[in-house]
Amino acid sequence: MSEYLFEMRNIVKEFSGVRALNGIDLAVRPGECVGLCGENGAGKSTLMKVLSGVYPYGTWEGEILFDGKPLRAASVRDSEAAGIVIIHQELMLVPQLSVAENIFLGNEIRKFGGVMDYDAMYAKADALLARLKLKDVNVAAPVMNYGGGYQQLFEIAKALAKNARLLILDEPSSSLTSSETDTLLAIIEDLKHDGVACVYISHKLEEVARVCDTVTVIRDGKHIVTKPMSEMTTHSIITAMVGRDIENLFPKVDHDIGDVIFEAKHVTCWDLANPNRKRVDDISFQLRRGEILGIAGLVGAGRTELVSAIFGAYPGRYEAELVLEGKPIKIKSPEQAIKAGLSLVPEDRKRQGIVPLLGVGDNITLATLSHYAHAGQIDRQAELQVVDAEIKRLRVKTASPELAIMGLSGGNQQKAVLTKMLLPGPKVLILDEPTRGVDVGSKYDIYKLMFELAAKGVAIIMVSSEMPEVLGVSDRVLVVGEGKLRGDFKNVGLTQEQVLAAAISHAAEGPAHAA
Amino acid sequence: MQSQQIQQLFVRYKILALLIAVALIWLFFHIKTDAAFVTPGNLSNLFRQMAITGMLACGMVFVIIAGEIDLSIGSQLGLLGGVVAILTVNQGWGTWPAIGAVLVLGLLIGAVNGYIVTKMRVPSFIVGLGGMLAFRGIVLFITGSSTIAPAPDNLIAIGQGFVPPGVSVWIGGLIFLAMVALTARRRVRRAKLGLQQGALWIDVAKIVAIGAFIFGFVRMLNDANGIPIPVMILLGLLAVFTYVSTQTVFGRHIYAVGGNMEATRLSGVNVARVKLVVFAIMGLMCAFAGIITVARTGSGSPSAGTGGELDAISACFIGGTSMRGGSGTVYGALIGALVMASLDNGMQLMDVDNSWQMIIKGVILVLAVWVDVLSGSNRNG
Repeated sequence: MSEYLFEMRNIVKEFSGVRALNGIDLAVRPGECVGLCGENGAGKSTLMKVLSGVYPYGTWEGEILFDGKPLRAASVRDSEAAGIVIIHQELMLVPQLSVAENIFLGNEIRKFGGVMDYDAMYAKADALLARLKLKDVNVAAPVMNYGGGYQQLFEIAKALAKNARLLILDEPSSSLTSSETDTLLAIIEDLKHDGVACVYISHKLEEVARVCDTVTVIRDGKHIVTKPMSEMTTHSIITAMVGRDIENLFPKVDHDIGDVIFEAKHVTCWDLANPNRKRVDDISFQLRRGEILGIAGLVGAGRTELVSAIFGAYPGRYEAELVLEGKPIKIKSPEQAIKAGLSLVPEDRKRQGIVPLLGVGDNITLATLSHYAHAGQIDRQAELQVVDAEIKRLRVKTASPELAIMGLSGGNQQKAVLTKMLLPGPKVLILDEPTRGVDVGSKYDIYKLMFELAAKGVAIIMVSSEMPEVLGVSDRVLVVGEGKLRGDFKNVGLTQEQVLAAAISHAAEGPAHAA
Repeated sequence: MQSQQIQQLFVRYKILALLIAVALIWLFFHIKTDAAFVTPGNLSNLFRQMAITGMLACGMVFVIIAGEIDLSIGSQLGLLGGVVAILTVNQGWGTWPAIGAVLVLGLLIGAVNGYIVTKMRVPSFIVGLGGMLAFRGIVLFITGSSTIAPAPDNLIAIGQGFVPPGVSVWIGGLIFLAMVALTARRRVRRAKLGLQQGALWIDVAKIVAIGAFIFGFVRMLNDANGIPIPVMILLGLLAVFTYVSTQTVFGRHIYAVGGNMEATRLSGVNVARVKLVVFAIMGLMCAFAGIITVARTGSGSPSAGTGGELDAISACFIGGTSMRGGSGTVYGALIGALVMASLDNGMQLMDVDNSWQMIIKGVILVLAVWVDVLSGSNRNG
């Protein structure tokens, strides 16, 4: 019997001749948490699909041992039966079903004749949630009544209901607030004490450092290093991930800040479902030429609503007075916003950024297509020339501009979306979570581009939940809390604590019930 | 490796797989009917049968690519056909003014449908369902539930006449020369701008294939009186719709709206306007189809176009249009219409019972989409 609960040895996976995984090893002891780090496209998702049986035994080489015995899963069901459960980045809950129904989905407790035993399910769901130190949850209420932090924990309860012995968490904190993340990490610690093993996949290396005992780094489908966390630092992990030493994560370029170019006054947005509730409450601010303005705050504070109202994209009722270059402008749709000289790179790339079936090139020119057309007819050659140049300039990795964009990694998709919104030549560029789910290398490229644009006089608004990013990039930081402006700081000697204190000054923090 | 390359070829050029399917269907009927199927006379008939479904499919393929559906087109066809018949037979309008008026009316009806879908935000499935009933009701009302005949001779000529053989030869020749010129111009411009150039042999092979096709098509139909006028109109529409979908800003926007409406809206595209125009074009196509229906039969029947929406939608899906929107081609939809028309025609020649015709067409539709799903999933695996 080996000391490991789970072992992958020399895993090789090929896609039509291309080696996505080239000899990966991964081992987890009972009660241990292993951090799996790598850039987007390094092969993490492929590895997880091998591990969880999405790619059945036989479609890859190498071997997997679970409890010392070879595991040859033909499907996800087999690996779950063995005790391996994945919690995906996008939560797999059915919002309309109750908490208990979700926890036991596909695994229902039945009475005679296939009738669901609700009493037993409610009791067991309560017990599972108590184990996760979640009280005050009504397990009979629909999941959509609870916020993202709770939902993440419901997923874990669902995994525990399946008697998970190895829990794989893929970017679990990507939509959590920092206090929700704290709760999550504390629960992982508890599970470790109970002997549950974890694989923790995250770009957020501070979390990896806090919760993981061992770190495995992979790059380009190859195993780079596995070491105890005590022998690693976040810096050494980044170096291993990128393969080169990134001295400074934020390649700051000096840029002059000019006159006020843009002004938003009295921006107010009302909630879609509840017309009496204000999501954004009378926020005003100014923006200068060449300035990078960070907007910080907790998830759900109203930052995204604020910028989408400015861009004319807020779906509900809103009011906003906008002044660009001294002249008041009326913006009622994204179409008008772009014409006026505003661009917005939205927060949710999959839902709002890319048109998955269209080619990379077609996506890049979507906002400026009429520039390459005469009387409605597209000049393909002119279009392709621009696309080729942009792909080179932003180092978008794609085999061809005609390739459907959905085949690209997150970082490269984000670069394409960014280019799309830069091509109209905006005077004010709004970036909503520009580096969410983006690998370290692409992050670096995106920051560099932001500084270059600022140096050219473009004014940039950046909404971000990553505090180091806000402090590393911004010239000035606005803090939004509960729809109100809670702080306006010059980013000189500003600390995370100051920003956080402003964000939660009046609000009791914690996983909040959604309205 | 070899089989993989062939598979990739089919994924890339779906049209090849579809044409092979058509060829197999024709071969089957040809053998089964003792060589009565692939004859100039029968093919002329078959293409004429296909023209009406083809016109509806041209409009429908845009609607489906944009992520919507229109179930009311069969009834729209009936209504617009009925109006042509009433104007020419009962009201004494000239044929051309009547056609002009009905085309405008079709455009308007489509635009109203589009307005209800985009501005009033009623799902297009429901708008279509409602329209299907309401438009049919209007036809029955204005025609008094009786057939209106006889249509004037110059209207009938459009439905039953032929393009003079000499003219067809000229048109075919001009299209071929235009293809050659456009391909050459593209290569020259690409070379000048330093863009990546496709292999020369592929372009040459494409031109040779198209030339052979045009030659064979014109020759075959000229052996039987010439190309039917409705077929010539359909070919014209194929050219216009293919041009719009591949070469224009509007065409690209249709694919983008269907592929991801939110992303397209945030890119500054007026998505409501794109969809509204798509519905208006659909209405226009119903007008074309309605006029041709009356011209072919020489009368305005209150039941004309019943079930037409199903044929057009089937044609789109057989031709590889995605259910979820965002992808599809006009020529694919027309080949889909050709498949449906070939099945109809072949089974009629074989004297297959009507019940069996319906069963077989239903099975083929599901089968064709299943094959499409299979080839799609192979691409991701």
